[in-house]
Amino acid sequence: MSTKGIGARLTRKEDGRYMRGRGNFVGDMAMSGLKEVAFLRSPVAHAKIEGIEIPDAIRARVFHNADMKGVRPMRPAASLPGFKQSDFPALAADKVRYVGEMIAACVADTRAEAEDLVEQIIVDFDELPVLANIVDAQKPGATLIHEEWGDNVFVVTSRDDDIDAVAKTAPVKVTRTYDMARQTMNPMEGAGCLAYWDERMGQLVLYSSTQAPHLIRTGLAEHLELEQRQVRVIAPDVGGGFGYKCIMQPEELAVAWLAIKLGHPVRWVQDRREHLVACANSRQHHYQVTAYADEKGRILATDVEVTVDVGAYSVWPFTAVLEASMAGGNLAGPYGLEVCRYKTFSVATNKPPFIPYRGVARAGVCFATELTVDAIAREIGREPHEVRFENLVTPDMMPYTNILNKHLDSGDYPECLRRAVDGIGLEAVRERQAKGEEDGRMVGVGIGMFTEQTAHGTSVFSGFGIPLIPGFEQAKCRVTPDGGLEIYIGVHSHGQGMETTMAQVANEILGIDPDLITVVHGDTGSSPYSTGSYASRAAVMAGGAISRTCKVLAERLGIIGAHLLQCGHHEVEVRDGKVVGPRGEVSIADVAKIWYLNPDQLPDDADPGGLEATGGYKPKVDTGSFTYSAHAAVVAVDVEIGAVELLDYVVVEDCGTMINPLVVEGQTFGGTAQGIGTGLYEESPYDDNGQPLASTFMDYIMPGATEVPDIRMVHMETPSPYTDHGIKGAGETAAIAPAAAIANAVNDALRGLGAEINETPMSPRRVLAALAGARKAAE
Amino acid sequence: MKKTVNLTINGRSVTAEVEPRTHLADFLRDDQRLTGTHLGCEHGVCGACTVIMDGEPVRSCINFAVACDGTDVRTIEDFDDDELMAHLRQAFTEEHGLQCGYCTPGMLIMARDIIARLPDADESRIRLELSGNLCRCTGYVGIVRAIRRVLAERKEVASV
Repeated sequence: MSTKGIGARLTRKEDGRYMRGRGNFVGDMAMSGLKEVAFLRSPVAHAKIEGIEIPDAIRARVFHNADMKGVRPMRPAASLPGFKQSDFPALAADKVRYVGEMIAACVADTRAEAEDLVEQIIVDFDELPVLANIVDAQKPGATLIHEEWGDNVFVVTSRDDDIDAVAKTAPVKVTRTYDMARQTMNPMEGAGCLAYWDERMGQLVLYSSTQAPHLIRTGLAEHLELEQRQVRVIAPDVGGGFGYKCIMQPEELAVAWLAIKLGHPVRWVQDRREHLVACANSRQHHYQVTAYADEKGRILATDVEVTVDVGAYSVWPFTAVLEASMAGGNLAGPYGLEVCRYKTFSVATNKPPFIPYRGVARAGVCFATELTVDAIAREIGREPHEVRFENLVTPDMMPYTNILNKHLDSGDYPECLRRAVDGIGLEAVRERQAKGEEDGRMVGVGIGMFTEQTAHGTSVFSGFGIPLIPGFEQAKCRVTPDGGLEIYIGVHSHGQGMETTMAQVANEILGIDPDLITVVHGDTGSSPYSTGSYASRAAVMAGGAISRTCKVLAERLGIIGAHLLQCGHHEVEVRDGKVVGPRGEVSIADVAKIWYLNPDQLPDDADPGGLEATGGYKPKVDTGSFTYSAHAAVVAVDVEIGAVELLDYVVVEDCGTMINPLVVEGQTFGGTAQGIGTGLYEESPYDDNGQPLASTFMDYIMPGATEVPDIRMVHMETPSPYTDHGIKGAGETAAIAPAAAIANAVNDALRGLGAEINETPMSPRRVLAALAGARKAAE
Repeated sequence: MKKTVNLTINGRSVTAEVEPRTHLADFLRDDQRLTGTHLGCEHGVCGACTVIMDGEPVRSCINFAVACDGTDVRTIEDFDDDELMAHLRQAFTEEHGLQCGYCTPGMLIMARDIIARLPDADESRIRLELSGNLCRCTGYVGIVRAIRRVLAERKEVASV
């Protein structure tokens, strides 16, 4: 078999240009006549706009809502009962609803000069009461963020199992409140886009740092009232996304409109302050959990209320409902939960809108459920992993549909846990704890487990009824006249290395060397439609589509090859870049040459479709292939100053068949680092006036090389029974569990002091507060 | 009011008229079209814009171009044929020390400086030295392993 196909630890084709500084990001582009855009953003969280004063001298270079006639506000629908839609205009109309909301766009030769224009605009605000948190927003008589709603709740979802019988008889009851802080996603390249009108093609062309070029095309066409064929979106190199770049940004809409209005290219490049203050918000969940269990720790029922602070607007197309409804739907995690009652609230506040972030909703759910499992373990005096064994879905139950209708496709969850317990050296940690630390710090060990629904498709997203539902994924593949291969796909890489991994899938089928394969992605002008790279779907969906399409090409190559080899086409097989027959072989390059350049030598039965094909694919069960994982952490807590240090970290993960283990490990390490940020450092706090308190990397703490340990990874590989090659998604998973594993480790360390921490980030202030609370309770 | 600045960029002598408020990174990117120097925060924390100035790594986003008169600046584009950087590029790709590639130029320039300056650096020292460079994709695992590998391989060669 091929040594460069599926499973090969191939180094990445894309690395060379990045390492020589030759990547091509939106901010790197040069274009004749290009002008730069800066936005005036609201300095207040909630206010009516009474007037906008623009000096006459700059009026022609400043644009606000009233100028953008015919442009629709983003108003995504969702089919969940009672969902309330919000109007989110690119530039605020009569009201601003969060600090950082865009009010005007200024255009100049340079960004600095555009910012000079911003400073000359005077806005007359009539300030309104600010709702800076979910408690104030839900109070009776609270100010309304969207007046027509009657309250400040986007949607409520629920499940109403009868838990009274269990509640009366269960020997163990644990009740906890959990909070996860608001975060921003912070890809190192922020958002950015460049647009111009192409007269020859009659097209708006938008270059954008996006994960989903086709989705943006659809969104721009609908909101600018253009035909879809009049819009082309190209994603060049994208410097990270993590979910933030899978929605249509209001800036994309504004810049696209400006390009049409002005007739010359315009560009906006987000700066870090814009990113931290006004964009990419996520993670802020609040949970109230009551769990009932038996004496061994088997969970009999859970009763959960989830409230998500989703900010002021629904983003297009994923809306504000995805987060809380997914939180509700994932409460069972890897466990065989039998009774679950929950209610979720998506609450509007005067903050930037929520955007799906790596491990959407699951980081919060995992935090709440995994800390509850440990609380039960402490309550009954068992090791937390023993309590997990009581509850995990076992391999003999697979495939298993849980009570929340998640169809777990394959895997060995208990084995995953065993390997994590062994990997972290639980017994050795217990011995170390018994001895105590010379420096007086408290050591603890904790585990976090989860399942991640990856590549969930039509049947899942249609349930949300949002504007864009993923369906079949397609790939177009073309053998070039010299035997190379071009692959055109609609998903886009923002760091995952698809130029390599997708070439490996093609290599698996055709044997063409990945060095001779070009993956063309990120351009609506050349690739088949795709809703984009999100939901850990690209490897499964585009990988499957490429595999299917290459099989079509193999068939066609075989017919021509067999003719050249003077044998029947059922006698040949395509491998190692050749058509191999019983008595000889011919290279794909030679077959291609004949198709393109010497068709006089073609057989009569050659497929007229030639050496280019478009194929489509959807797994036979499209509810998602479930990747699962156990994270284990060892921490040392300094109880004097509240500092938490990670001493060791192990990840055991099963993402089905790995296309490239090197890439899977990279995704896992990076996701874990982001989860460490969630657990220990990252926070976007707001004051009572809705003013953001973290507006630079000096006050928004990103994990650095000194904060992230040398993560150790253990692979498991259980193919999905439903996807081609058994592939499951791996992109988002690792960001889910670190906060839970670390919190369980911290609580394990502090157990003897009676202290417990149930919120993120576990900063020194919060650790010390937990210790002080425990001391007070003991008095 | 623009001011005249004279400096050496990647071995080339450059004279330019620059706005006093233009920082070195914008000058390199927009005026000199050296776009390998990236901007990640523009307040001196993330290190994506790291360049070599007079032999030392500096953040080009918090140095005004006009203040760099008389200096010798090297950007990532100047290291194509650099032997140590080639070694690092090989290790970075084999250890998967980059994903989206945005922090990579600054990271490589810093890594090269660490190796040249601290041939005996251990893992914790490497991590300390990297604390001024943020990466959001890799969790630093591949980056640190790549630097350790180059240090070890160079030591091996030196001892032969």
